Amino acid sequence: MDLIELLNFYVIPGIVLGSIYALGAVGITLIFAILRYAHLAHGDLATFGAFVALACVTGVGIPPLAALPIAILVTAAVAVGIDKVFYEHLRERPKIVTVMASLGIALMLRSVVQVVWGVDTETYSRGIVRPEDYFGLRIRDRELYTVVALIVLVGALQLFLTRSKWGKAMRAMSDNPNLALLSGIDNKKVVMLTWVIAGGLCAASGFFLGYNTEIKSMMGWHMLLPMFAAAILGGVGRVEGAVLGGLIVGIAEELSVLVIPSEYKAAMAFAILLFMLLVRPTGLLKGKVL
Amino acid sequence: MTALLSMESLTGGYGDADILIDVSLHVDVDEIVAIVGPNGAGKSTAMKSVFGLLTIRGGKMLFDGDDITRWAPNRIVQRGICYVPQVDNIFREMSIHENLEMGGFLRKGDLSAAYDRIYTLFPDLKERRRTPAGSLSGGQRQMVAMGRALMLDPKLLLLDEPTAGLSPKYMEQIFQICRDVRDTGVAILLVEQHAKQALAFADRGYVLAAGRNRHEGSGADLLADREVAEMFLGG
Repeated sequence: MDLIELLNFYVIPGIVLGSIYALGAVGITLIFAILRYAHLAHGDLATFGAFVALACVTGVGIPPLAALPIAILVTAAVAVGIDKVFYEHLRERPKIVTVMASLGIALMLRSVVQVVWGVDTETYSRGIVRPEDYFGLRIRDRELYTVVALIVLVGALQLFLTRSKWGKAMRAMSDNPNLALLSGIDNKKVVMLTWVIAGGLCAASGFFLGYNTEIKSMMGWHMLLPMFAAAILGGVGRVEGAVLGGLIVGIAEELSVLVIPSEYKAAMAFAILLFMLLVRPTGLLKGKVL
Repeated sequence: MTALLSMESLTGGYGDADILIDVSLHVDVDEIVAIVGPNGAGKSTAMKSVFGLLTIRGGKMLFDGDDITRWAPNRIVQRGICYVPQVDNIFREMSIHENLEMGGFLRKGDLSAAYDRIYTLFPDLKERRRTPAGSLSGGQRQMVAMGRALMLDPKLLLLDEPTAGLSPKYMEQIFQICRDVRDTGVAILLVEQHAKQALAFADRGYVLAAGRNRHEGSGADLLADREVAEMFLGG
């Protein structure tokens, strides 16, 4: 197999899959850093976002990419709502209570999706999309959009975190929560912002998974493990780490097909997660130790 | 003249246990007051009580004309008391400048005058303002921590063991900074493990033991007191 084939059949799909994982992993890492628990409903929140976009495409008749911003806004609002109705009441309790509650939310979200949209496999647009040829590299437009969306959204997030007052307040809350409170930073607003960002990115993740493959009610749940592996691989609390981790997990999954049967592709994320926790629990970019 | 802060017969602690028993102390404007005493005497607890961090069962706390005994910490901050904890008192992953910015989070409008004031007090920090605070030396971290607390322009600064773990050179530097801060019109109440050095530099001092007032007076008087010297300062 020559290099161009390796790139076309393994590395490029790996980068696309990795970008999708990264969009979810950034939210997971922010929730870990600021709220300090593992959010197990993240995958199903992504599914929800993908189906909201589907409703816009089939119901209103707008093109998929135009449905993306709507899905982002709706999912961000739903994430804030879930926090207000469920997680907020558990904030003073041990974190494991919230983790278990998020598992319940995951099942609830999935059920809502299945009741409203059914359990059949759907797509945003029918027909086969032929890839364009870029000097031998075969890339579909939707693959390009996925990677561009990751760069734009994470770039905007980084600007927000490093330049704006409230973005810095989020970092301060992640860095030293007691001192942040002593400085008069409003914890509730920071938590709400975290959910807006995590929920919005989550919807983008689900949307692009559906856009590149199919839309299924279990798609997000299956993505949960790779997203967590990506967040931990990159270092918990590190946005750029989550992106790096997502890309590594995505590429590793696609490349693994070369040496192990493709049914075991999903085990790659698990292997990476286990290996990192054993060897370097702070992740590649020195995140928090869990 | 009435005191800036006065703690009157305060009794309280965490949960049900009383750690402070009938403790009284006061801090005047433009004064540095040190609380010293053996380990477990309730020094840090006395300081945290000012900041509304423990359950008060008796006595009261007056600050600048207000009874702040049962106020929440965020209200106390806005009223003009800022607190520098002994440990974890900086945002490690944020730059020096961002630490100061977070300190001034509650202030509306332009912060440049506040930054100027801090950087004049701590010229070392200005040069390194883009450096992550976690990479600084212990003494410089303490400066960042004090700078963060001073951003709100408090009338009273509470310092919990500001020289813990610092070399004698840095200890002297921190004490000098405290004097400079006082000279800008900010009163300081501090808790110190290094009793001798603290009493030598403070305007007044209190010796606490087992959660009660034992001695009080000017730093020099306490240092000269034989009982204080024998019991608490190691002869």
